[in-house]
Amino acid sequence: MQSLGIDVLFKGTNMLRLLQGLWVSVAISLISVAFSIVLGFIVGVLMTSENKIIKAILRVYLEIVRIMPQMVLLFIVYFGTTRVFGWNLSAEVSAIIVFIFWGTAEMGDLVRGSLKSIPVIQYESAKALGLNNFQVYFHIIVPQTIRRLIPLSINLITRMVKTTSLVMMIGIVEVLKVAQQIIEANRKASPNAAFGVFLVVFILYFLICWPVSRLAKILEKRWA
Amino acid sequence: MKNNWLKKLLATVATVALAGSFLVGCDSAGGSTDNTSGVKYRTLDEIKASGKINIGVFSDKSPFGYVDENGKYAGYDVYFAEKIGEDLGVEINYVSTEAANRIEYLQTGKVDIILANFTVTPERAEEVDFALPYMNVALGVVSPSDAVITSLDEIGADDEVIVISGTTAETYLTKNYPNIKLQKYDAYAQAKTAFENRNGVAWANDNTEVIAFAIENEGYTVGIPSLGDQDTIAPAVTKGNETLLKWLNDEIVAIGADNFFHADYEATLLDTYGSDYEDELVVESGIVK
Amino acid sequence: MDIKVLIDYLPLYKEALLLTLKIGWLGILAALVIGIAGAAILHFKIPVLKQIFGVYIEIFRNTPLLVQLFFIYFALPKIGIKISAEMCGVLGLGLLGGAYMIETFRSGLESIAKIQTESALSLGMTKGQVLVHIILPQALSISVPGILANLIFLLKETSVFSTISLMDLMFTAKDLIGMYAKTIECLFMLVVFYLIMLLPVSIIGSIIERRVRYAEFGD
Repeated sequence: MQSLGIDVLFKGTNMLRLLQGLWVSVAISLISVAFSIVLGFIVGVLMTSENKIIKAILRVYLEIVRIMPQMVLLFIVYFGTTRVFGWNLSAEVSAIIVFIFWGTAEMGDLVRGSLKSIPVIQYESAKALGLNNFQVYFHIIVPQTIRRLIPLSINLITRMVKTTSLVMMIGIVEVLKVAQQIIEANRKASPNAAFGVFLVVFILYFLICWPVSRLAKILEKRWA
Repeated sequence: MKNNWLKKLLATVATVALAGSFLVGCDSAGGSTDNTSGVKYRTLDEIKASGKINIGVFSDKSPFGYVDENGKYAGYDVYFAEKIGEDLGVEINYVSTEAANRIEYLQTGKVDIILANFTVTPERAEEVDFALPYMNVALGVVSPSDAVITSLDEIGADDEVIVISGTTAETYLTKNYPNIKLQKYDAYAQAKTAFENRNGVAWANDNTEVIAFAIENEGYTVGIPSLGDQDTIAPAVTKGNETLLKWLNDEIVAIGADNFFHADYEATLLDTYGSDYEDELVVESGIVK
Repeated sequence: MDIKVLIDYLPLYKEALLLTLKIGWLGILAALVIGIAGAAILHFKIPVLKQIFGVYIEIFRNTPLLVQLFFIYFALPKIGIKISAEMCGVLGLGLLGGAYMIETFRSGLESIAKIQTESALSLGMTKGQVLVHIILPQALSISVPGILANLIFLLKETSVFSTISLMDLMFTAKDLIGMYAKTIECLFMLVVFYLIMLLPVSIIGSIIERRVRYAEFGD
């Protein structure tokens, strides 16, 4: 009976490194989500605007985000910008830029959706009661939107975490790259390490994303 | 109605295409004459002043550049990198690179030196500057011992040969054997795992690498030990970075006097290759015999 | 930008587009089949199968495709399950897409009012007839925008196939950059080809979405 290679993880600091690699992905996602939520609010409100120019710009922006795979964006930002503009962005910064660019669009769309879902009558009644525009937004609309948005933004976190698995492609040493390094360093002693190590990576991702998406679902049901 | 729909489609195609091409396309004005406009590098003095040098190495290519179980970089290339850091008096920041990214990393200034088993070829020399060589290399092909491939003519029309994207093996086979189907991977770890899993009939790469693989793993034979030209492996710097290049050349000549690379071999490669290959592989002071 | 380089690389990108489409569509087909079957199973609460599909959805929705592919392609052969790269791509995309399609179809099914089923039954239709003639057509048409969104998502996800040696658009670009260092040209072509592949789907998607929204106003 050959070992399935899980034992490799208990050698040296292998398991710790794997977890550190995972933390890199999670940290990148959390930073990106934080920015995306703030910027997404602005974009979302802008999306409800009737201004033709704003509409056209946002349309192109959303269309780019919708069509371009994140990996393509990563390559463009990481390699392309240095070529074209001479910016020297580190891989981590490039990744965060791409994920904010993507997350803001997603978030913006969610914000727009929930703003639109609030019946017009509420705006009108609030105004009829003598509230000004600002008051209407802050006392009536925003509290309701936030409730709808929280579960959706939590979902965005899991999608971010999943997508950060791509950053390996621009040379960030995250969990998958560490996994490859471990497999490579132990190829001789443990030829089946690929099974054990990738299985553990699979499980680690699940353990991070699953509770978060459960939480989102529960909140969605409670606040729907 | 239909007309309207079409118009919209075309308009959106046009806008998005424009926006997309803006991102990548707007260099054509400034960069078309030569590509040095985007090329950035740090001179020797700037590196020294910053106290840190960025060196691109492999992190999954044992025994040349890999990460050991304690998370430390190790291998033949890394041993040399450590010496460079020591003699420059700066800290080393290792950047984990894939074969296909090596030129890109130098041209975009993301690393100062590539020490990732980089074979000197005329095509690459147009893009980066190579220092003096520190190792000999040719191509080799390894295959499972129960189906050894001793000549490239034995490879059937449906068989696939594993290569790593951006290596000399890939360019060589693409150019000279366009009919051989290649199965390409980004990373060494992936290519080797796929080869073990028998996703390809053979694996073509630097012969140093395939010999090491056959020695370290049971059941594999290097059927073609030497293919193509005898080449060398050398450190590379960004094109035009003369101060760093000169320092590297002086360094290689100087440490060659003490047989540094023999010591490197003995520290990192002896376990894998034994002493038989020592004189064949090692190049001292940049002098290829 | 060097136009000659663009022309030289064009055939390679075309080939890559075809491969991406081939695997993409097969995977999406598989995803649709899984989606419809799974949605029906969950909707009609078929025992055992319901639990199995529940677990499957959670696993595949909560892990990245890249990790799924790595596991199927690199790890499974170690325990004797070997699949070709193309098959692995189709399988990975199908399983991932299936998990999303189930949710899409299910919300479509659930949005059909119960009263419709009851009225149809009272008109003397059998349960099967109700499903085929009344519920499915409506559920499917309501799900169309969701399906198209999933479609774009899945075709985009094909970019990770490059890691299991499939010569898709992404890999072709990366590979050419690695060999000849014509970064800008390669990235430009990459963007253009993704636009060619996905922009039409995206636009059709938003048009249909608008139509369906109008249709919902009567509700």
